[in-house]
Amino acid sequence: MHDFLAHFGAALAGTLSPAILPGLALGVAGGIAIGALPGLTATMGVAVLLPLTFGMPASVGMAVLIGVYVGAIYGGSISAILLKTPGTPAAAATVFDGHALAQQGLAAKALSISTVASFIGGLLSAAVLVTVSPILARMALAISAPERLMLALFGLTVIASISGNSLVKGLIAGIFGLLVSTAGLDYVTSHPRFTYDQLELFNGPPIIPVLVGLFALSEAFAQMEKGAALNATDAYRAFKRQYLSWTEFKGLLPVILKSGLIGTLIGAIPGAGADIAAFVTYGEAKRSSPDREMFGKGALSGIAAPEAGNNGVTGGAMIPLLTLGVPGDAVTAILLGALIIQGLQPGPLLFSEKPEFVHGVFAALVVGNFLMLAFGLLGIKLFCRVVELKKSHVIPMIVMLSVVGSFAMNNSVFDVWVCLVFGVIGYLMQKAEIPSSPIILAIILGPMAEISLRQSLLMYEGSYAFLWTRPIVLAFAAVIALSLWSTWKINRQQRRAAKEAAWEG
Amino acid sequence: MCRPTLVACLALAVSGALFAAGYPEKEIRLIVPFAAGGGTDAVARIVADLAAKDLGQPIVIMNKTGGAGAVGMTEGARSRPDGYTVTMITRELCSLYQVDLSLVQPKDFLPVCLVNEDPAVVLVPKNSPLKSLKDIVEGARARPGSLKFASSAQPNIYLLAMMTELGLSFNQIPYGGAGESIPALLGGHCDFTMVNPGEAIAQIRAGELIPLAVCSDGPYAGLPGVPTMRELGYNVTASTWRGLAVPPRTPREIAEKLESAFKKAVDSPEFQKFMADRTLGVRFIPAAEYMDFMLRDAEALAPIMKIVKAQQGK
Repeated sequence: MHDFLAHFGAALAGTLSPAILPGLALGVAGGIAIGALPGLTATMGVAVLLPLTFGMPASVGMAVLIGVYVGAIYGGSISAILLKTPGTPAAAATVFDGHALAQQGLAAKALSISTVASFIGGLLSAAVLVTVSPILARMALAISAPERLMLALFGLTVIASISGNSLVKGLIAGIFGLLVSTAGLDYVTSHPRFTYDQLELFNGPPIIPVLVGLFALSEAFAQMEKGAALNATDAYRAFKRQYLSWTEFKGLLPVILKSGLIGTLIGAIPGAGADIAAFVTYGEAKRSSPDREMFGKGALSGIAAPEAGNNGVTGGAMIPLLTLGVPGDAVTAILLGALIIQGLQPGPLLFSEKPEFVHGVFAALVVGNFLMLAFGLLGIKLFCRVVELKKSHVIPMIVMLSVVGSFAMNNSVFDVWVCLVFGVIGYLMQKAEIPSSPIILAIILGPMAEISLRQSLLMYEGSYAFLWTRPIVLAFAAVIALSLWSTWKINRQQRRAAKEAAWEG
Repeated sequence: MCRPTLVACLALAVSGALFAAGYPEKEIRLIVPFAAGGGTDAVARIVADLAAKDLGQPIVIMNKTGGAGAVGMTEGARSRPDGYTVTMITRELCSLYQVDLSLVQPKDFLPVCLVNEDPAVVLVPKNSPLKSLKDIVEGARARPGSLKFASSAQPNIYLLAMMTELGLSFNQIPYGGAGESIPALLGGHCDFTMVNPGEAIAQIRAGELIPLAVCSDGPYAGLPGVPTMRELGYNVTASTWRGLAVPPRTPREIAEKLESAFKKAVDSPEFQKFMADRTLGVRFIPAAEYMDFMLRDAEALAPIMKIVKAQQGK
């Protein structure tokens, strides 16, 4: 323990030194900007900056990339709250309550909740990483295909929570998303499914262009239609300078801590990342909340939960990377490559061979989270100015960013078309009052559910016995059943209330 | 041939040569058909860095992923044949077109040179009851299709090579890359896997994964002491390779200039050390022999790809 403190203290001092701190701070600030711009994501930010870090010493390069990672996962929430456009898939769950609050003039409050929740979630995950990562890494290894299937199914039940007023319309969107997610090569036989001879579809529908199209572009189309009102600054005129209060914070703390821990766990499971964590924590927060009806209408915990959850992934995903040498999510997969190019071998021996480096990563993650908190809180006023901009200035910028972002992910014109097509689909869905978030949820979770189910069936040679012989699967099944039951109950209550109101009216 | 056409042809040829003389005058784009941070990306970056010094112009990496490399390689084959777009080609160029999963094949490129070859290595987790390759072969013979293989890519040409050569069958569990198939092994969810040495070297060195055999022609320097399949009496080789190529109508002079630059890069001590440190294999094949190498490889893959085609249900 004493040894550890000495090492960690040295690493912390190193991180705060002029050799590393500026890079880390630039990484966090750049990451926030990358995350906030629709179409640019954490994965992409890290991938684009990766070559720039090759010339740097490993500790500096890693600090820059960790800064981008932490910043971008948080940054996505800024545009989700202010523009109703999640900057990254990880912020897709923050739109509902975040934007609802912004429309009530409470953008500053929403942003401060997102900043604080992201900070606590991230710091908590860093603490878990520093203290119990070997144990947690072993736990994550025990998670096999059947458990991942149940995690994906639980995530899919969140469709009920994000459907708005009509469960049927939410299900229409969710099932449409699941159908879209089946496009691509079959996982077992490599048979091309719904690919129409487009090589670009072999790996399934590209998530970023779909996300940008459904949220950013469709919103831009809808605003263009309003035409005449474009010179107004929209409904946010009643902007209130209200931040998160101490009492509210105390009320949110349990949800933030729980979501941060769930996020850390999901991050530690190879193949599941911040987008999944955000939806799962949102669903769990709604399930366990006493006032579920408030979700989607500006519930504070509807922002706190997914933001603590997605930043919880940052430390979580580093756990298998540093202890086992396998990535916990898409971003750490790139970090693994970065480390290998730097000549390091992340894996079980890294800790004993390069303790200074591992402690440096710990310290960068901790300091990075503090920087994120500082930049986030200082930036709120600046971010809020966005809502004062004229819509006629904002919309062209959003359209341009959408197209550029879709192209940039994979240098692909095909992806731009995907973005445009989903922009139109999203616009038509707005017209029909069908929520578009379930599509994104289904496209993220559909492939995970499918491949886990097929892995499970192959492992059990065609038998479904994995559904009742594995304790974690059973526990998940119970949570899923509870979640569905509570949805059904709320729905029934609401219908009854509506009926009574109709009688009295 | 009528005179004007002849003149035009001559003019073109001369301008081609003139054009080549000044080459390269601007930065060169290298299309890497796999994501940043992967093995192909690492090889591309180091070799591009070193070759750029010789060419006197920077080489910019453009990752273009999708379709197991098919998207990037297709774009590379169809780019302008002026030497300013080079493509990192991989073994998928010889396999995917045979099952209609790619629009390009070896003859759609003018090869520049091969720079790397990585054999497959057979791995089991440390406490596995499978102690040798013989255990795997006998286990598969006793109960066909029961041993669980964690497959990091579909179709898995490494496993299929072993299956066709030895007449075995396994339960193939599909995973999205070595980053997921290795944890499946560490967690004890699968019995064995086959990946490239560089992808598992950290776990091998830590003793978490045990290499039973390497599928190279001769002893593999990156894994000293690990027997080859052939040494164990099984005639199985399986590997992946990476090289460079340009579109077919690129002027010969330009291709030669590129080849000499990349050869110098491969021969450099920096490249050799970079590859050895990361357990990546170095193999150089010059342009003159590279096309033959690919055509022979495509032929060798034919029986395997036939099985894949049957699986696809076509």
